[in-house]
Amino acid sequence: MTLAETQALLFDHVTEPEQRDRSAINHCLRGSSDLPAAERLQIYRGMYVARLVDALRETFPNLARFLGEETFFDLGMDYVARYPSDDYDIGRIGRRLADFLRGHPDPERPDLADLAELEWARNEAFFAPRGHVMASEGFKALPAETLVHAELKLVPSLRVLLLAHDASELWRRLERGEPAGPLVAAPTTVVVWRRGFEVFHCVVPPPEGDALRAVWNGSTLTQVCACFEGRPDPAAEAFAAISGWLSEHWLEGVT
Amino acid sequence: MAYQRLALGHGVGLRTKHFAQFEAEPSPVDWVEVVSENFMADGGRPIAVLEKVRRDTPVALHGVSLSIGSTDPLSRRYLRDLSRLIERIEPAMVTDHLSWGTHAGRYVHDLLPLPYTEESLEHVASRVREVQDHLERQILLENPSSYVAYRDSKMTEWDFLAELARRADCGILLDVNNVYVSARNLGFDPEDYLDGIPPERVGQIHLAGHSDRGTYLLDTHDAEVSPPVWGLYRKALCRLGRVPTLIEWDERIPSLGELVAESHKAAAIEADELGPSMRRAS
Repeated sequence: MTLAETQALLFDHVTEPEQRDRSAINHCLRGSSDLPAAERLQIYRGMYVARLVDALRETFPNLARFLGEETFFDLGMDYVARYPSDDYDIGRIGRRLADFLRGHPDPERPDLADLAELEWARNEAFFAPRGHVMASEGFKALPAETLVHAELKLVPSLRVLLLAHDASELWRRLERGEPAGPLVAAPTTVVVWRRGFEVFHCVVPPPEGDALRAVWNGSTLTQVCACFEGRPDPAAEAFAAISGWLSEHWLEGVT
Repeated sequence: MAYQRLALGHGVGLRTKHFAQFEAEPSPVDWVEVVSENFMADGGRPIAVLEKVRRDTPVALHGVSLSIGSTDPLSRRYLRDLSRLIERIEPAMVTDHLSWGTHAGRYVHDLLPLPYTEESLEHVASRVREVQDHLERQILLENPSSYVAYRDSKMTEWDFLAELARRADCGILLDVNNVYVSARNLGFDPEDYLDGIPPERVGQIHLAGHSDRGTYLLDTHDAEVSPPVWGLYRKALCRLGRVPTLIEWDERIPSLGELVAESHKAAAIEADELGPSMRRAS
């Protein structure tokens, strides 16, 4: 057996043992009377599963809390079987969990996918580069002709999510240990960011939420301001929103 | 070429649980080791803490995802990120494991042992040389804890590791707990292992706790170093001389005081076997 063949055999037996013929393992590995080869390999299988589910639990603490130990473990097994790790950083194993939950929705709890998306965004924000913070004075000093075509740049940790449910409410209840009944579907913009080493999130209602998503998607400042059209004083509201983003340290600069 | 051993003294693994103390107070140990992958992100608290600690304490970067023995190509992204971390931290040592953990672009996130054959030896040696060329420095490879042995193996792990260090011109991180765990699991004499390791290549020693699961020992890093491993450490010191020694503790992590006490125990054993050291943390 070549080294490559040996590794293919072991890898498959560790990651997907139920689909494999164990006799090949006995030809490859030495066992002993008290610990046969297949049982020895099972040690690695057990550690593989435990390590990945532990990593998911660390990234999605409230989802794990809601589902409970056994259900979360089963979810982790199903997820890892569908999306095995392809990243050297085990902490990134959960990056497709929200999509996985949307593809396999619990009919009674479709809001769990949104909770997973929120928790993943919080995880990303935690490890994002610090970046610079734009001062209000710097923004106000920009010439008007520059601002028309300018794009606002968000700080690296900031994430703008458009969720089908207000998962921040579900997250809050779970953090406090309160009953976490299902949420009514309601499109919600949630912003996640980090200040210092602490991660925050909040709901941003329309039209400010629409404007922030426009920034997130790379729209020009003119297009961002257009989100406030139809309001009694769109220019004032747009200015107030941007002032708020500056004071929250959500903006890095203007390009 | 040879490996130049550093005189670092005694260290512990820097873990999240102790970040606040390392942020607020001087390091209570001579040096610390971190798991490289946990500090490769561009931002956040871990890298900030590590940069603070590094200002006055030597750091060893200990990787778990290099997968040096895999037949997959080396991950360029991993090497790039490791290079960036090395540039940022300027570590005293860069280490990983004699193992593999990737196949067809997928990660098992474990340290699987290799069959000890000439094919494996040449394969791993060429990859170690490639990594060292990329990083522009020597690395040290750690002996894994093993639960399986291959029918195809033609040499012992210690002979493999010794020859690998010679061919690739790398260092050896001798995990004394892993020697003991593998010896129990695979049925060899751990002293034969120590006898087979070239002392001049050993740049670091690891000590850790394990769990007895009845038919095998599991390398859990969740307990104090066991008495037989302390005994083996004494024998290793007699063969190798003074080697930078680290206490690894990754699960059920105790207070920093307890962890440091375990490191002081290693220092006391070293002093007992080899005489007092010239350097100790205050």
